[in-house]
Amino acid sequence: MKRRPLIIKNQRWLDFLFHRPNIHLASFQTISNYPRIWIISILILAVTSLSPLVMATFINNRLIHKSVDSELVLQTDRVTSNAKRSMRFFLEERLNALRFIVNELPYYSLIDNEHLTKILSNLKLGFGGFTDLSIIDADGSQEAYAGPFNLEGKNYKTQSWFIQSIERDNFISEVFTGYRDIPHIIIAVRSQTAYGRHFILRATLDTQRLMDMLSSYKTNVHTDIFLLNRSGIIQTPSTIFGKVFTPAPIDIPAFSDATQVITPENNEENAYVIGYSYIVTEAVTTPFILMVHKKKSDVMGTWLNLGKTFNWIIGFCCLVMMVIITLVSTFMVNQLYLADQAKAETMIKMEQSQQLACIGQLSAGIAHEINNPLALINETAGYLKDLYQYTGEHRSDKEITELLDDILEAVSRCGTITSQLLGFVRQFDVQISSVDVEKLINGILSFHQKETEYKGIHVTTAIAPNVPAIETDRGKLQQILLNLINNAFQAIEANGCLDIMLSHLPPKKISIEIKDTGCGIPEENLKRIHEPFFSTKKEKRGTGLGLSITYGLVKKLQGAIRVESSEGIGTIFTVTLPVKMQKEEKA
Amino acid sequence: MKIILVDDETKFINMLARRLSLRGMDADVAYSGEQALEKAAQTRYDIAVLDMKMPGMSGFTLKRKLLDQLPDIKFIFVTGHGTIEQNGVPDQFDDIFLAKPLNIDTLIDIIRQRINPDQ
Repeated sequence: MKRRPLIIKNQRWLDFLFHRPNIHLASFQTISNYPRIWIISILILAVTSLSPLVMATFINNRLIHKSVDSELVLQTDRVTSNAKRSMRFFLEERLNALRFIVNELPYYSLIDNEHLTKILSNLKLGFGGFTDLSIIDADGSQEAYAGPFNLEGKNYKTQSWFIQSIERDNFISEVFTGYRDIPHIIIAVRSQTAYGRHFILRATLDTQRLMDMLSSYKTNVHTDIFLLNRSGIIQTPSTIFGKVFTPAPIDIPAFSDATQVITPENNEENAYVIGYSYIVTEAVTTPFILMVHKKKSDVMGTWLNLGKTFNWIIGFCCLVMMVIITLVSTFMVNQLYLADQAKAETMIKMEQSQQLACIGQLSAGIAHEINNPLALINETAGYLKDLYQYTGEHRSDKEITELLDDILEAVSRCGTITSQLLGFVRQFDVQISSVDVEKLINGILSFHQKETEYKGIHVTTAIAPNVPAIETDRGKLQQILLNLINNAFQAIEANGCLDIMLSHLPPKKISIEIKDTGCGIPEENLKRIHEPFFSTKKEKRGTGLGLSITYGLVKKLQGAIRVESSEGIGTIFTVTLPVKMQKEEKA
Repeated sequence: MKIILVDDETKFINMLARRLSLRGMDADVAYSGEQALEKAAQTRYDIAVLDMKMPGMSGFTLKRKLLDQLPDIKFIFVTGHGTIEQNGVPDQFDDIFLAKPLNIDTLIDIIRQRINPDQ
């Protein structure tokens, strides 16, 4: 079978979409709606191949986000816990130092300013972070002071920190400015004089020290660590929420002295988590809440970017796959369409040839039935003519003889037509046998012997010595030669020549050349001589079927026929046939 | 030279016989195979012109039977079936087929050729 080349020309590429519907062809096609098949195939391929990819991507994204979230929570939790522990230690350490001082030293030595100054310098050396020390009696008046500010003789009776600290043993204040206008924290311990009167040892702590400690936990710019008091006022500077003493625009979390992490429901862009813990020491509850604020997008940027890149790659893959799927589907559906169309065309051809066979059989039947009465007319008219000619009666009556000749002529024409119609039907089955072409040619020529002599035609046959007997259909070959030789005889005028050449074309072909010196065929007719019912012998007696049948027969015998002709000089018909004809498979 | 013409088309074969006799050829007619065999038993024919398709005995069967009686007899087959591919040309059994309607001159030529192939 002849294969279509795989590289499909542009205009064939979308044939199935843009073909003009041919009702006759469509009735033989297996599939009628190719665009629909095309779309379905693209859809099925796309869904089956892309959906696992899309699902995997979706799951992967979810996993990345989940792990990013939990990692963020973990990190925040760690930072918060560490910072809280340091913070607690910082406060406890100083509180205990004060407690040690009031327990160790008697009241009178504490209210000695010089001694107190010495203690302060020792504290600064030992712990750091202390700004000043003072002793305040139960009435709120400052008994002794050591430090850089001139606060001697101040009365703190109305200050809220004093009211709170005189009521308990230990006290830690929130950050406030107080008399000195500098943010500071007060830690105070309460004790008793030898006379049972309460007094307070108060120390102010430098907030800078606290801030330095907290900021040491800031691992990167996206982390913000600061202190809030219990009413939501910022105690140490926050990079996000601003300066000290401004209220933070966040909800104050519920009390918990263990570290807690909150993941607020928020949009992806500004997603963040908050870790917090209330600072509670063993001795005292502080007003501080440690807050750690971590931005998700920035902290986990690498991870999220990786996820994004991955999504882009998947998206690109999907696009490429869609393109491939579309191309493959289009190609396949088009191939299917072309194959289907080729099939439909073959079936139409088969139908046509079957129709032709039917017509042939019908006409053969009619021809046969007509031949018998025709033969009777022929013989009767012939006999009538004979009567005139042989008996001598009415011999002079030329008109009757001429009329009878007309009848005989007409019958002869009918005979030619019927026999050629019968020839049509014989084109269909082939019987292969061994044929000696030379003998066949001689047989046909002997049939024309009389005409040869009568017209004075020189007939020469040149048979090459090595021509093998060929395997072919004897009857068909005979008819081919008969037709061609008959044609030649009709074309040749008196004293013309007919040359027949038979030669072997090694290895597998023979050639028969029939050359006459007849009238020749005009150039414009040469192309049409094989068309059925094309004849130039209208005035004579031609049906136009002879050469058409001959061409068909040569094709049937797997051979080829060629014609060369020049008007007035003659015509050469060359028939090439295979030495061994292949049996054709039954259709 | 004796000729026998066998065909079920009686009028046709009578006409043919008359025309042949006008041309100096002695032709008998038979309208069926059986009749032909009867006639062949009495007369020694040189050549038989047979229709291929006849009711009863076909041309080929008749040929075999006639050959039994007259081994030297020659045959010419005539048929309306238009065996054009063998028109006037001997096949491998050396029989000659002619299509109806016949040309009387061709027929006579062939009869003469058959009987005296050397001429």
